[in-house]
Order: sequence, then structure tokens, then C-alpha cells
Amino acid sequence: MEQGLLLIVASSLVIGLVAGFVMHRADFCTTAAFRDLFLFRDFFLMRQMLLLAVVSMALFEFGRLAGVIERQPFPLLGAPTLANVAGGFVFGIGMVLAGGCVVGSLYKMGAGSLASALAFAGMLAGSAAYAEIHPQWSAFAQSTVLVQGAITVPQWLGVSPAALLLPLAGLGGVWLAREFRAGRMQRPAAAVGHLAPWRAALILAGLGFASYVLIGMPMGITTSYAKLGAAVESWFAPGHVAGLAYFSLQPLDYTPPFSDQAIRGGPGPQLDAVAAIQYPLIVGIVGGALLAAVRVGEWRPRWRLPPRQLLSALAGGLLLGLAARMAPSCNVWHLWGGVPILALQSLLFVAGLLPGTWVGARLLTRFVIR
Amino acid sequence: MQTLDIDIRGQICPSCLLLTLKELNRIGADIRSGEAEIVVLTDDRQATATIPATANRMGFHTDVERQDGAYRIRIFGRT
Repeated sequence: MEQGLLLIVASSLVIGLVAGFVMHRADFCTTAAFRDLFLFRDFFLMRQMLLLAVVSMALFEFGRLAGVIERQPFPLLGAPTLANVAGGFVFGIGMVLAGGCVVGSLYKMGAGSLASALAFAGMLAGSAAYAEIHPQWSAFAQSTVLVQGAITVPQWLGVSPAALLLPLAGLGGVWLAREFRAGRMQRPAAAVGHLAPWRAALILAGLGFASYVLIGMPMGITTSYAKLGAAVESWFAPGHVAGLAYFSLQPLDYTPPFSDQAIRGGPGPQLDAVAAIQYPLIVGIVGGALLAAVRVGEWRPRWRLPPRQLLSALAGGLLLGLAARMAPSCNVWHLWGGVPILALQSLLFVAGLLPGTWVGARLLTRFVIR
Repeated sequence: MQTLDIDIRGQICPSCLLLTLKELNRIGADIRSGEAEIVVLTDDRQATATIPATANRMGFHTDVERQDGAYRIRIFGRT
């Protein structure tokens, strides 16, 4: 394997392992952060997400100024469209029904949850199913571009990233310091080996930064869900998969750090740059969570639950898979990667995610958990 | 003293807190007067923080114990 690619595979795997371990120990769930705002008026986890975003904002920008981050905005981000809002909305419904997002479901699956494994299967199917509507959806996205020629807010306003990101991160820091002093960033937990969510937020921000420096972009995994889905689908219908335009796209085309060779990749079933970046991350997150659960004696298959919930997890997974392609990308990519550089797509995704989560919470309490 | 057992092991989030709240609202008066208590059995690590926090805010007492790789959260009225 070429050396640059080897570095990518190894860094992704290590970053995934640490992230999976940390998310399990802290139960660092983005879905809960959004859902519990509406369900219980509980802002505790949302504060941790904001901590993660603010620290990432500072790290990414200082990294850029110091020259260790070269490409800003990072690859795969595009012009903001209404598709980002719509994708975020469907994503919000899906993650609440599934009981976890595309990353959260991985760490819960690693700890033995059957519901999350079903959600994962749903995500693969939903991602692959997106290929069927891709021509229409991409036409919709292209006809609803909101800002031409700008990917981030600083580009849109024509100011340097530092002029906007550093003051914003500073303000966020002042607010967070106040929350810490008021005791709102911590709460007692009795779980064995518990990691305080604020510590997890700092570690995950560090991992995002490491990913950006070593791989050239923050953590993202959902293109490879389409890839895995396409691989499974091509066992049954190879001709059909080969004929779908979506699976022949190569949206990733860049020269990674520490390499002088461009690499390419897309959602098709072949092993390419997307597979090199994302497959090890997925394996790492599942493995890290499994290890974390085993070490505290809490790993066991959990499959005895109401059929209603299994169905909800599967349906939620399908919606998540579909939405992650419509948006495109997932909450972790947008919240932990795009929002910290004020990517317009990511801000629109969040604008859709909030009402979507609200709808999901209504559906959950009305039909699933009774 | 009546004990209401809720076994929510394996269930998707946020079953733990929702189902506990439902029962707390139903028999809260009996718990306050010491006639009843709720024992939740869960493997959701987050529930060891959210259930006690919510129940305490409502004026109940709680304790958490480890049991067979899961957690046993007791909600009661009087110590």
C-alpha cells in the first residue's frame, strides 16, 4: 500500500478506537443531546456538544494559522442548498427513532445492542436506496442553491476566517467558563468507569483535530454506508448497481497531507480513498466501544426488547441512511467538523435537524415507547 | 411497602427515563408517603445519571447499585 494511504488507514483506526471507547464510557450521545431538549427540557448534553464545537473551532483555526491545517474548508463540502435543511430534518426524525445517530449507533452496537445493529442494517439499506432517487434529488439541490461561490460564512461575508472564528470561539469560551463555574457542565453519575461528558467533549475535539491534520478532514463516515450498502446490493443485483449513476460518482478527489499523490473515492462498492478513510473509523468505533464495555463487565447481547422498539430502530436507521445521503453527510461531520468552521451546509443541516428531532420525539412518545 | 420493578434492560433510549417518569407520576404520592418504591433495572449507563437527577429534582430519594453488569436504581420517599 502507498505510504500516504497507510497513514490514513492507521490514523482512522486509532482515532476510531479512542472515539468508540470514550463515547461508550461517557455515553456521549448526540441524539440524546438534541432529543432531550424537547423531551425533558434538559440542556446538559447540548452544553457538552457546544463545548466540543467551540474547542474544535479554536483548534481548527489555530491549526490553520499555524500551518498544520492546509485545506480550509475541507473536502466534500459544497454550496449551501435547501437539500441540506431537508436532509437534516429527515435525519433528526431518523436518529430519534433509531435511538442513536450514525455514529452513536456504532458505539451502542459495539456494546451489544441489537436495536442499534438493526438500525445499522437500516442505514446501509437507506443509504443504498438513495441511489434510486439521486438524479431527482441532486436536481432539487442544484436548483435551490442559496449562496453561489461560498462554502463557509467567512467566504460568504468576504472576511478572513480568523476574524470571525476566533472572536466567536472566545465568546463561546466565556459562556462555557460561566457554565462550568455554575456547575452546569457536570452531574453525578454512578456508572462504573464513567467518563465525565465534558472530558469526552475535549478528547473528541482533539480527535477531530488529529483527523483534520493527519487525514485532511474531520471525522465522517456516511459515504461508506452507501458504499457498504452498494457492496451488499451488488451481490444480489450487480447489473442494477453498476447502472446507477450515483455509485459511479467520485466526489472525493484531493491530495491528503503527508502525500504528494491525489486520491479519489465515492459511494460505489469499490475499495477506494473513501473506504481507506472511513472503513477503519467504523471498525475502530465499534471495536473501541466493545473494549470499553468488556472492561467494565457490561458487554452482553441485548436483544430482548419490545418488537415495537426493534421496528422503530430499523425504520429510524432507514431514514438516517437516506437522510445522510440527502443532506449530504451526518450530524458528526456537520456538528463536529462543519459548524466549527462555519460551513453554510452544516449550519443549514442543524437548522433542519432541530425541527426533525422535535417531530421524532413526538413520534417516539406517541407510538414507540408507551 | 410495595415495590414496583421496572426492567428496561436492552431498550432503546430514552425508555428508561420516560417509563420511570410515567410510573413516578402514577404512584408518586404513595412513594412520598413511604408506602411504595420503584426499582429500575437498566443497562443504560446514562440512566444512572438522568434518573436520579430527575427524581431528586422531584423531591424523591434515590440510590444506585451495580447488579450483574447492569444497574439497579431505587427511588423511594423516606430514608
